[in-house]
Amino acid sequence: MSIKLNVINLEKSEYTGGKSSLCPGCGHDQISKVIIQAAWENGIPPEGIVKMSGIGCSSKTPAYFLGKSHGFNTVHGRMPSVTTGAAMANKNLLYIGVSGDGDTASIGIGQFIHAIRRNLNMVYIIENNGVYGLTKGQYSATMERGSTKRKGQPNDQPPIDLCKMAINLGCGFVARSFSGSKKQLTALIKAGMSHNGMAIIDVISPCVTFANNDESYRSYGYVKDNEEPLHVADYIPHFSPIAEVDIPEGEYKDIELFDGSTLRLETISDHHDTSDVVAALSAIHYAEQQGKHVTGLLYFEADIPTADEVQGLVDIPLSSLPAELMRPSRAKHDELIRKLIG
Amino acid sequence: METIVNDFTINIATANGTGSQSANTVLLKTMFDMGVPVSGKNLFPSNISGLPTWYIIRVSDAGYQAPGDRTHIMIMMNADTWQKDIDSCESETVIIYNSDVKLPVERDDCVVLGIPMTKMARKINPKLARMIANMYYVGALVHLLDVDIVSVQSLLERQFKGKTSAIELNMRAIEEGRAYAEENFGNPQPYRIEEREKIEGQFLIDGNEATALGSIYGGVNLLSWYPITPSSSLAEGIIQWLPELRNTEDGKSTCAVIQAEDELAAVGMVVGAGWGGARGMTCTSGPGISLMSEFIGLAYFAEIPCVIWDVNRVGPSTGLPTRTQQGDLNLLREASHGDTDHIILIPGNVEECFEFAWRAFEYSERYQTLVFGFSDLDLGMNSWICNGFEYPSEPIERGKVIRTQEQLDAVENYGRYRDVDGDGVPYRTLPGSGLAPILTRGTGHDEDGVYSEEPEVYRQLMKRLKRKINNARSELPVPILREEEELEIGIIYYGSMETTIQEIDDIIEDTGVKVSQCRVRALPLHPEVEAFVERHERVIVLEINRDGQMYGVLRKELPIHLVPKIMSVAYSDGLPPRAKFFAERIMRTLEELSV
Ligand SMILES: Cc1ncc(C[n+]2csc(CCOP(=O)(O)OP(=O)(O)O)c2C)c(N)n1
Ligand code: SF4
Ligand SMILES: [Mg+2]
Repeated sequence: MSIKLNVINLEKSEYTGGKSSLCPGCGHDQISKVIIQAAWENGIPPEGIVKMSGIGCSSKTPAYFLGKSHGFNTVHGRMPSVTTGAAMANKNLLYIGVSGDGDTASIGIGQFIHAIRRNLNMVYIIENNGVYGLTKGQYSATMERGSTKRKGQPNDQPPIDLCKMAINLGCGFVARSFSGSKKQLTALIKAGMSHNGMAIIDVISPCVTFANNDESYRSYGYVKDNEEPLHVADYIPHFSPIAEVDIPEGEYKDIELFDGSTLRLETISDHHDTSDVVAALSAIHYAEQQGKHVTGLLYFEADIPTADEVQGLVDIPLSSLPAELMRPSRAKHDELIRKLIG
Repeated sequence: METIVNDFTINIATANGTGSQSANTVLLKTMFDMGVPVSGKNLFPSNISGLPTWYIIRVSDAGYQAPGDRTHIMIMMNADTWQKDIDSCESETVIIYNSDVKLPVERDDCVVLGIPMTKMARKINPKLARMIANMYYVGALVHLLDVDIVSVQSLLERQFKGKTSAIELNMRAIEEGRAYAEENFGNPQPYRIEEREKIEGQFLIDGNEATALGSIYGGVNLLSWYPITPSSSLAEGIIQWLPELRNTEDGKSTCAVIQAEDELAAVGMVVGAGWGGARGMTCTSGPGISLMSEFIGLAYFAEIPCVIWDVNRVGPSTGLPTRTQQGDLNLLREASHGDTDHIILIPGNVEECFEFAWRAFEYSERYQTLVFGFSDLDLGMNSWICNGFEYPSEPIERGKVIRTQEQLDAVENYGRYRDVDGDGVPYRTLPGSGLAPILTRGTGHDEDGVYSEEPEVYRQLMKRLKRKINNARSELPVPILREEEELEIGIIYYGSMETTIQEIDDIIEDTGVKVSQCRVRALPLHPEVEAFVERHERVIVLEINRDGQMYGVLRKELPIHLVPKIMSVAYSDGLPPRAKFFAERIMRTLEELSV
C-alpha cells in the first residue's frame, strides 16, 4: 500500500492531533478534521503554523489538530490580542485562530473588532453554534431570534452577525460555511491560509448536546435544509498548474490569492460579486430575512496592509534578533548621554 | 536682613493650559545650569485646560528634593485659588502676584509684591499675552533671587531651538519683569540663588523617560499600551527614542508599537510576544493593572516572560488620576486569582528607572515569569537630577530557550514544565522552531504541558513555581542600606520616598535619635531586608498609602519572631511626601511605642 504524501513529502499523520474529548458528533470535531486536511493538502510545514484559541469547547480543539505545531490556548475572548503579540514576535508564521461564538461575539467582541481593524495576518475561524457549549448551553449573542435550544425558552434577542460586522470593519476576507459542508469549508480554509491579512471564516457548527433540535436554527437538520451556498468553491493550490484544471462549464470567477493559489467560485444561480460590499451585506440580509444561512466567500479584497507590515519591521523575526539589534551600541549610548546633558 | 542662599521653596499657582509650564521649566533649568541643586514638582489636575495647577521648585544645597513643608516664595497667577493660596502662606512668605487679576492680597505679615503682568504682556504681544505673562514672574525672580540673566538667555536659546522670534519675545518679557521688580521693589526679601560648581555629566530627566530608555536598552521588541496618566509618557518616551536608538541602518524597526484597544488587549499582546520569544512590555497605572489581572495569572501559570510597568496614581477606582501614591503594591504582589507570586522591581530614582527597565527583561526571561516595574507619578512625571545612565553592565541573556535540535538533545528528559536543572526554571521552545511543540495553556498541565487535573501534578507544579520565585530573592536588586552604629531605629522604605528620606532622617536626627535606612528595591524580599530587621531594635515601615502595604508584605514574609519589631507609618493624601510631616509621624509612632 502506498502512503500518500503532500508536496513537502509529509504524511497526513504529521498534521493530526490528540484524541478529541468533545461530545461525539460535535460540529467542532469536523472543523478540526478540515483544518488538518487543508494544512496537509496545502503542504504547509507544521512548524510553520501556530494554533491559537480562547476558551470554550471550540477553543479546546487545537489540542486535536496539528500536533506538530506550537499552539496557545489562551483566556476567554482574548485570542486575538495574544495572536497579535505572537505575530509581532514572528511575522513569518501562519497563525490559525479558533474561537467560539461566545468567545468572539460576547466577551471577545472588542478584540475581534480591533484585530480586524489592524488587519492581523491570520485565519480566524469561529466555530459558531449559537450557544455556550462549555458552560452548558446558554444562548450566545449570535443565536437567531426565535431559535430554540433543546431546553428552555426561545431566544428573544437579535443576533450579532459576525460576517456583517467583519465586512463593515473592512476585513479583506470574509466567508461563512457549515461544518457539514466539508468540500466548501476545506476550500475556504485553504484560501484563508493563502490570504495575506485577516481571513474571517464563520462556520456554523452544531452543538449536538444543547442545540441540535430542529427548532434550533443551528442544528444539523435545520442548516442542511436552509443552507444557501453563493457558489461552488474550488481551491487550486499555487503548486499545481492551473492550466491543467478543468474549466467549469458554467459561469465562474477566479480569485487570485497572495501565495499564487486560486479560489475558483462557480456560479450556482445568481452571480455573487465578492468585491462588492453592498452585495455581500445584501446576501446576508436576504438570507436572514428568510431564515436561511448564506455560505461561501462573501467578501474579498487583496492588498490591505497587514498589522505587521505597517510596523516596518526587520526581515528576521523579532524573536531571533541578534544581540546587537536588541541594544544600542556604546557609541550610541555616549551620543545619547551627550544629548541629554544638552 | 540676612540672606538665605539656595535653601527655599517656590510655589507657582497657575491654571493649566496657560503656558506656565514653559516659564517654570525656564526657571528650573536655569538654576540647574547654574549648578544649584533643584527639583521641580508639578501638581496638576485631571483635565486639559483651566483648572488649578501648582508647580513647586525646591532649591536646596543639602540636596533635599521633596516639595518642602512650607512655601517661601508664592507666585500667584490664578484667580480661582487666590484666597486659598494666600491663606496657605506662613508669615514672612514672599508673595509675588499678578496685579491684573484685580483681587486683594491682604497680608501685612508677608512681603507682598504686585506686578501688572498681563497688561505688560499685552503691550508686547496682545495675542500671546496670557502665555507671556508667565515670563514676568520669571523676570521678577531673576532680579529678586539674583539669577544669572546670561544663563536664562542661553537656556531660552536651547529651549526654543533657534526660533528667534520666540526667544526674543520671551526674553523681552523676562527682561521687563526684571526691570519692573528692580525699579519698584528694590530687594525686600532674603532669598538668593548662588552659582555652584556644576557637577559634570548631570542632567534633568523624569522617571518615565528614564524607564523608556532603559526598556530600549533591555531589547524591547513589542510595546503595546493604552493611554493612562501617569504612564503615557513612558510609552511615548519609547516611541520617541526607538528610531534613533534601535532602528537598523536601513531604517527598519526592531520593536513593534501598538496602541491597543484597552489594557486587556495590551497585556494580551505582551503575553503573545513573550510566548513567541520576543521581549514584550506594557505600561499602565492601577486601573489598567486591575483589567490585566486575568492575563497576569496566565503569564505566571504558563510561565511566560512579560514586563509590565505600573506608574502608580491614587486609587481606588479612578481616584485622583493626577496625584501620587504607593497604593498598588498589594495589587501587584499577588495579582490575579489563585495563588500567585510576582517579582516587582522598585526603582527609587531616575538612574534606577533606567537600570531596572533593562533588567526587568532579563529577570522575566531568566525566571520565565511576569515582572512588574513599580514606579509612581511623582518619580515618573517630575524632573529629577540624574547623574547619568550607566551602560548595562551585563550582556543580554535570553534564559533557558532552546533554539536548535542539538540544544534540545542536550537536555535530558526535556518537558516544557520539567525542572531538569533543579532550580525551578524549565526550558522552553519557541513557535516556528518545530522543536518539541506543545499547546500552551492556562489550564492545569503536567511536566510535558499536557492537560491534567491530577491532584499531585497540580500541587507539584504550584510548589515548583513558588520555589522558582523564591530562588530569585537573592538575585534581585539588593536593598540600599545606610546604617548607624547604634542600630536602634531602622526605617524601611521604597520607591519615590527616596527623594524625601534623607531630609526625614536629618529632622529625626536633630532630635538626637539615630536612624538607619533600608530601601527595599524588589519583591519578594531580599534576604538582606530580613537581616536589617534582625539587627535593629525597632523598624518603621514608611510608605505613601493608607494601609501600610509594604508593612503587610513584611508581616507576611518575615519570620514570625521579627514581626513585633516592625511598625507602620503610612500616609497618603495625593501629595508627594513632605519631610517634616512624615518625620513627625515617625517620632509620634516611636513615642507611642515607648509609653
Ligand atoms: C473570564 C471567563 N468568564 C467565563 C468563563 C466561562 N466560560 C468558559 S467557556 C464559555 C463560553 C464558551 O462559549 P463559546 O465560545 O461559544 O464556545 P463553545 O463552547 O460553544 O464552543 C464561558 C462563558 C471563562 N472561562 N472565563
Ligand atoms: S457541549 Fe456542544 S459544543 Fe461542547 S463539545 Fe458538546 S456538542 Fe460540542
Ligand atoms: Mg458556542
